Amino acid sequence: MQAAEQVLLRTKGLTRRFGGLVAVSDLDLEIRPREILGLIGPNGAGKSTTFNLISGFYKPSAGTLFVFGENCTGKSPLAISRMGLVRTFQHGSLMSSMSVRDNILLGTIHGVSGAARRRERTEETAAMLGLTPHLDNMAGTLPHGLQRLVSIGIAFAARPRLLCLDEPLTGLNQTEVADTLTVLERIRDEFACSILLVEHNMKAVMKVCDRIVVLHHGQHLASGTPAEIRNDRKVVEAYLGHRHDS
Amino acid sequence: MDNLRLPYWALCTALALAVTFVVRDPYLASIVNLISIAALVAVSLRFVMLIGELNFATAAFMGLGAYAAGAATTILHWPFALALVFGGVVAAAISIVFGYITLRTRGPYFLLIGFAFTEAVRILYSKSMALGGTSGMVGIFPPVGFDAWMPSLIMAVAAVLIFALYVLERSDFGKILTAIRDNENVARTVGLNILLCKVACFAIASFAAGIAGGLHAFANNVISPGDFSFLVAAFALAYVKVGGEDNIVGPLVGTILLVTLGSFALGLGGQEHIFYGAAIILAVLLLPDGITGLARRGYQRLAARKGH
Ligand SMILES: Nc1ncnc2c1ncn2[C@@H]1O[C@H](COP(=O)(O)OP(=O)(O)OP(=O)(O)O)[C@@H](O)[C@H]1O
Ligand SMILES: [Mg+2]
Repeated sequence: MQAAEQVLLRTKGLTRRFGGLVAVSDLDLEIRPREILGLIGPNGAGKSTTFNLISGFYKPSAGTLFVFGENCTGKSPLAISRMGLVRTFQHGSLMSSMSVRDNILLGTIHGVSGAARRRERTEETAAMLGLTPHLDNMAGTLPHGLQRLVSIGIAFAARPRLLCLDEPLTGLNQTEVADTLTVLERIRDEFACSILLVEHNMKAVMKVCDRIVVLHHGQHLASGTPAEIRNDRKVVEAYLGHRHDS
Repeated sequence: MDNLRLPYWALCTALALAVTFVVRDPYLASIVNLISIAALVAVSLRFVMLIGELNFATAAFMGLGAYAAGAATTILHWPFALALVFGGVVAAAISIVFGYITLRTRGPYFLLIGFAFTEAVRILYSKSMALGGTSGMVGIFPPVGFDAWMPSLIMAVAAVLIFALYVLERSDFGKILTAIRDNENVARTVGLNILLCKVACFAIASFAAGIAGGLHAFANNVISPGDFSFLVAAFALAYVKVGGEDNIVGPLVGTILLVTLGSFALGLGGQEHIFYGAAIILAVLLLPDGITGLARRGYQRLAARKGH
């Protein structure tokens, strides 16, 4: 019983079909408290579809979804986000015509009452992500990498218990990647928030993740610590010709 | 919410009210009324544009407000203020149901539904004998002795509502509305109830449109189904686009300019619709951000030159 409560997210046989295509197939996934779980796999492996399933944007074709111990199969994105599961999108995960400040502020509105406290939370979040100098810029005018950070900022401003990030490092340079990984570790350690990380940057994934799950053609291929995954023969085969070490 | 530019609002409202005090000619007074009411409708239309939707049902809700206020006055003999507010409340109440069902659609679908609703409601008035049928409802008079003050009263009510919509736009609620237009899925992931906010936005705008309808009824003392065709929304869109939609000042500038020009054209025996058509084409081709956008760019250029 204790163990069941300890799991933040659990899927059993989660499946999603699009016509004849099985994008996610019979997936069992488990996210534990205070961990960064990497979800990797080649293009089209079903990572983003998994995000859409666990955040309620897609209904599963089969299988069950438990979030924070509650059966959330078929629940709406609103219901799931209000439980404390917040996700970003792989593409366009911000409001481009609004200032960075208003973008991040949006993440605080549901959970925080009072203008002063919302502003405080907004500025604290921006500072963590190094976005303070850009607070008054329009989000859509920022370089791609900074826009990624704004997306994380919006999501983290809601102070979720489980933060799901879909390729948050795309377009960041090396120092920005290193800084962002530090932020992810801080989110895990200081805010007791688990992170589900989809990312093609293998170096970063290996460095920051506590555990990794590998998807291939929508199916669970392997899971384990970064060291175990690195040496898994099936994983290496699946990735042949699909290396994204940039 | 920090900077509401209160001095500007106070000054402009005072100026507008001063105009209504000075104008004593009935024809000019009717144009001033037209401007106040059309400005309120344009601002209402723009309020729904914050969530990225073109609300052609604006005309229907203006009509519902007018007929509700008219019926409250002529059939129920309610006092003036109560009848006016009733018009707004009826429009808002119906818009909540309408919005809850239709705001799940977007873009052209939502626009078309609004258009169809406007025309359907209009046919409903013409078929209803109690509401005066095609010839309309007559005898919607403000209290005795109020006549001379109607332009000022209409202007004041419009100004208060326009300011209220401005305050809402600047609040965190207004930011949610812009976020819905920009990227509603992101707003949804941080626990915001998108449908609820859309319906609230729609209901608030419809309340304003309903009040505008009531003001129209009391200003003209007679209303007919033809007053509330989709053209009302089309004109309001023209005011917003010509004035500029970035800022609430845009629809105000657009309304003042186009209604004045249109009335002038009517005086010449022309068709004001030609003016609106031409104004829209010119604005879209030459002024993508409307007149206020042009003014802002000019001001910035001037400020930059002074800086050197
Ligand atoms: N809405 C949809 N309709 C039809 N097919 C879809 C839909 N969404 C995803 N798919 C298909 O499902 C498969 C998995 O896609 P998904 O986006 O989950 O992959 P991914 O692992 O996120 O890939 P990438 O690394 O390129 O982002 C792909 O073949 C994709 O074409
Ligand atoms: Mg993807």
